[in-house]
Amino acid sequence: MEYKVQVTRLADGHAEAQVQTAFAQLFRLDTDKAAKALSRLPLVIKEKLTAEQAAKYRDRLQAIGLVAEIHPMLVVAPVPSAPPPPPHEVQSATAPGLQLEPIAAPIAKEAVPEVASRPAMRSPGMAFKIEGRPDFAFLTVTIPANETLKVEASAMATMDSHMTMTTKMRGGLGRLLTGESIFVNEFTAQEAPGDIGIAPAAPGDLAHVYLNGDVIYLQNAAFVACAGDVNLETKWQGLVKGFFSGESLFLIRASGQGDLWFNSYGGIIELDLDGDYVVDTGNIVAFTEGLEYRMSKVGGYKSLFFSGEGLVCRFSGKGKVWIQTRAVEAFASWAHQFRPAKGKG
Amino acid sequence: MQIEFMHQPGNTAARIALRPGETLTAEAGAMIAMSGHLGVSTSTHKKGKGGLLKAAKRLFAGESFFLNHFSAEREAGEVWLGSALAGDMMQYELDRQTLIVESGAFVACAHQVDIDVGWQGFKNLLSGESLFWLKLSGQGPVILNAFGSIYPIEVDGEYIVDTGHIVAFNETLDFSLTKAGKSWVSSMLGGEGLVCKFRGRGTVWCQSHNPKSFGKSFGSSLKPRRA
Repeated sequence: MEYKVQVTRLADGHAEAQVQTAFAQLFRLDTDKAAKALSRLPLVIKEKLTAEQAAKYRDRLQAIGLVAEIHPMLVVAPVPSAPPPPPHEVQSATAPGLQLEPIAAPIAKEAVPEVASRPAMRSPGMAFKIEGRPDFAFLTVTIPANETLKVEASAMATMDSHMTMTTKMRGGLGRLLTGESIFVNEFTAQEAPGDIGIAPAAPGDLAHVYLNGDVIYLQNAAFVACAGDVNLETKWQGLVKGFFSGESLFLIRASGQGDLWFNSYGGIIELDLDGDYVVDTGNIVAFTEGLEYRMSKVGGYKSLFFSGEGLVCRFSGKGKVWIQTRAVEAFASWAHQFRPAKGKG
Repeated sequence: MQIEFMHQPGNTAARIALRPGETLTAEAGAMIAMSGHLGVSTSTHKKGKGGLLKAAKRLFAGESFFLNHFSAEREAGEVWLGSALAGDMMQYELDRQTLIVESGAFVACAHQVDIDVGWQGFKNLLSGESLFWLKLSGQGPVILNAFGSIYPIEVDGEYIVDTGHIVAFNETLDFSLTKAGKSWVSSMLGGEGLVCKFRGRGTVWCQSHNPKSFGKSFGSSLKPRRA
């Protein structure tokens, strides 16, 4: 697939003049031309790029203070009956090992036009937009009339007043104690379509996949929302797999058909795996079913105690893993030193 | 060794592609993901220089840190590195120079770069601010991270930088720790405890935010810890 890179706007907190100068330098333009080009946003910078090239362009543009997006260069048919290709299918063209892939999946879906009313038949997915990427992404979904969206508890920020909410718990009471139940709120748009704004707890990015009968495992905190028909189950990793990690890798299994959104703390990096790969447990966001995974240590026993990596998750096989550039636990342990000492006031 | 950064500047992660035979030395805990076949070992210093027990003792004194060595033995591989705090990263190519790096800013370097952990160039004064610096020298790439954004300052003459904002600087610069104000009392009350005065020619890389100030801004609202 080919991609194009489009600049949509100036990133917040950047002076226009400064960005223009940087833009001029980047593309070896004179400042006037750069200013002119940037006055006509959105602006397509480059077309027919590979995923890797496009990601590079985007990163360079973002580094100088421009918000850039990658769009796949395929004709997105605005016909609701044409389901988008499952964005997480493994590309056969990738060489063995790993390829840096852009996180194009969520953007690709933005091309789906917002439709005020949908036919009763199963549509390819709900209309949605993700704003504030990549640092402070939040999601707005248009729920078609009488359909339901499952949302992580307490993540709803705004919504139309005709939405009704019910709370469901997955995982059962027995697991409540171990922190392995998730509460999911179901929002239903009564009689008419409605918008809901969803904000994940941690600042970071959001990704979207359209499940088409396939299965994705999410790290506990990564779940944001999914269509009503997507099944969510909690998956207890058992003592062997979860016990030593301290962060008990507790996974949510999402299956069925429909949209699924998940979030990260920090940026999301999407990796195509073919072979062995190691991910720090705190940095796992999601992965596709079919990958083998087990908890293990890195290096020898010396490394177990001093490497700072503790236990990691070792993946093998073919599939996709989404990782995050920051880990909540790492931040929390950094913050630990600033806690006041007991007894000293 | 090929280095690229993703999600700059807020959520930066570094991807390091290793060719067969190459080894990357990284700060303990920085690895977020890597190829499964890479060899990993942990040391306190340069690889092959042991003394782990001693280092553990020094760790409790808050003066040591551990390094992980990732090596691609026969097959190429890659390592992703991240940091605990939000912020940018930078790459610096050492070419028989010496770079002095604030220990929290160090992310990784090529294995052939020398890391002097025991360097005590700053150990003087009544510094309640435990300054801990690394001296990197030799040849090869170095990756540094910052809390917030990174900006270089070309010093020619004299310049003063708050110690909490220093990421790294060229060793060609003379430096001394001093107070920001005229008297110690006003410096301490003004919150600008220790500053570093640079003299000469060279570059100082600064970070836009001071991690310690951030920590202190919310620390008092956290639950007290035991001892």
